[in-house]
Amino acid sequence: MTLRDMKVGQKAKIIKIDKGSYAQRRLFEIGLVPGAEVKLLSRHPFRGPLVLQIGNAKIAVGRGIAASVKIELLEN
Amino acid sequence: MAVALIGNPNVGKSSVLNRLCGSSIFVSNYPGTSVEVTKTKFNVVNRDVDIYDTPGIYSLHSPGEEQRVVKEMLKSEDIELILNIVDATNLERNLVLTYELLELGIPVVVVVNQIDRARVMGIKIDPRKMRSLLHSPVILFSAVSGEGLVQLIRVLESGDFAAQIDKPGMGKKVAVDLSLSGRYGERGKGYVIPTETSINEADLERAKKARDTAKFVTTQMKAGQKIWLERIQNILDHPVIGVVLLLFFAYLGFLLLLKSIELSEGPISTVLEPVNRLIGHLISEILPSGIVSSVLSKAVPEGLIIPFTIIMPAMLMVSLLMSILEDTGLLPRYSVALERAGSFFGVSGQAVIPLSLGFGCRTPAILATRIMPSEAERFIVITLLSIVIPCAATLGIMASVVSTFEAYLPVIVLTMLATLTILGFILSRIMPGESVFVYELPPLRLPMWSNVWSKVKVRFSGFFTEVLPLLLLMNIIIRALMESGLLNIFHDMENFTRFLFGIPAEAFVAVLITIFQRYLAPLVLLNLPLTPREATIAITMIALSLPCLPVMVMTVREIGLKGLIKVLIMAFSTSFAVGIILNCILPF
Repeated sequence: MTLRDMKVGQKAKIIKIDKGSYAQRRLFEIGLVPGAEVKLLSRHPFRGPLVLQIGNAKIAVGRGIAASVKIELLEN
Repeated sequence: MAVALIGNPNVGKSSVLNRLCGSSIFVSNYPGTSVEVTKTKFNVVNRDVDIYDTPGIYSLHSPGEEQRVVKEMLKSEDIELILNIVDATNLERNLVLTYELLELGIPVVVVVNQIDRARVMGIKIDPRKMRSLLHSPVILFSAVSGEGLVQLIRVLESGDFAAQIDKPGMGKKVAVDLSLSGRYGERGKGYVIPTETSINEADLERAKKARDTAKFVTTQMKAGQKIWLERIQNILDHPVIGVVLLLFFAYLGFLLLLKSIELSEGPISTVLEPVNRLIGHLISEILPSGIVSSVLSKAVPEGLIIPFTIIMPAMLMVSLLMSILEDTGLLPRYSVALERAGSFFGVSGQAVIPLSLGFGCRTPAILATRIMPSEAERFIVITLLSIVIPCAATLGIMASVVSTFEAYLPVIVLTMLATLTILGFILSRIMPGESVFVYELPPLRLPMWSNVWSKVKVRFSGFFTEVLPLLLLMNIIIRALMESGLLNIFHDMENFTRFLFGIPAEAFVAVLITIFQRYLAPLVLLNLPLTPREATIAITMIALSLPCLPVMVMTVREIGLKGLIKVLIMAFSTSFAVGIILNCILPF
């Protein structure tokens, strides 16, 4: 399962990121690292970005990247 | 003594510095405001402290301009202390950089900023626990209330920073544990600056340490009542309603801009008219009669009208609106809302920030392109800025030319939009790059008016130092050229320009004048007898032509001479192509 498959309001733990080193670096910077917990806040229409909550920060990520982030859903 | 301020984007480095020195650096509520290291002198107990304010970075190991700038500073300056500014509401992520900084071996003081906001959110941080883990002084700080300021000044006063560090082995002169990451190659003045950028074990290790530390030192209590700002933020971040609202705000902004110009024009002209008459009179009295006197007595008063009645209110209004957008944290929300639109031009949503800044003035906008994630995207945005985006001054003059000649406004607007689309499309195809859309949305806040004011002042100061003198000078030159009859030389080109672009030769001269200052070119048009069709083509060619001189200077600084030449070639081809196409399709 990836970030892109999450439903709004669900929480998940990041498992792995399948993307080039540049993208990995960018994701690492904003706290999207294996082990981190995220919550999906909203999805923008027309395949627009996803807005996530990581810690207390709001982060917007494009769908392309979201699809490369493997996650494990957490019980609410 | 040299101190460096280092921290994640948008944690309030500049506002900490503002608190400390009362200076007026740009402090904005969106990532990527300070793209350069700024040095501020500060005096504590008769000792000069140089404080280096750096662009926000997430990690020393990341590629990119900001990181390069920070590493460059660490290498070339003899930094004795790092003030690591972290966001109290987001320790988990902020501490990753803290752990990287601790490995450098330079003494670090951790300033936990925005502690006031954290408390409202129910976050409690224990500075003693934090110190015990980081082995470095930890100060809870609020740039808003001034909490922690005394403590911070005391640290700076003490001078002996290495003594502040708890554990031997963390001090400056002691070797750092290099085995952890094994990739410290470059040596600065006694420190080792990381060079490699791909993610490795050490990064993940630090991320884990940061996560554990954050958990250990913070207690999450029930959040205080939701402030109304947060409610508004939730509405604005709604994927549909938010986008509609944001676009509506943008529309209101443009409306406000047009209305304010319209309303101020009358009163300003009333004041300006007698002043102008006096100036004209004085010039012809003082100077001996002749060509110089007759040119100046006409050109100077004339040259004051447009800058004061149109450009001045436009620049003021745009500076104000942009500053409010930046300060409230609305700007990055536009990036997210417009991500889809941006992807069409092959650029990320954050391109919206420099592009919309460009509507104010393109010179700072070029600087702001540093927030683009890749060089390819950066070049695309600089090109679009240089060729297509009209700055406030250009818009003002264009408006006056359009109304003078009754040119076809819809044609001009549509052509510019079409050019933006086509140019963006072509550029994104020939310069493919991995587009990574990752963006932080800072919390919405009310504009701090002192901030907004200082930004408006800086943005607007260009009016008197650059715009007004240059406009006046160019107006005099153009007047002189016309009075002397020199422009008649270009009549020989009449057949050529009429055939290609459908405009008289003098109007073509105006297109060439854009080399000096784009917003001056339309002035030439004002003095020519043009039909609406001719005016439409000429204005569009000017609007889609070369960047002005300050923008060119900036472009060279940012992407080098080669980059500028590429932009200029594209600009000329675009302008000429647009002229030819319009000449073919517009009915006589």
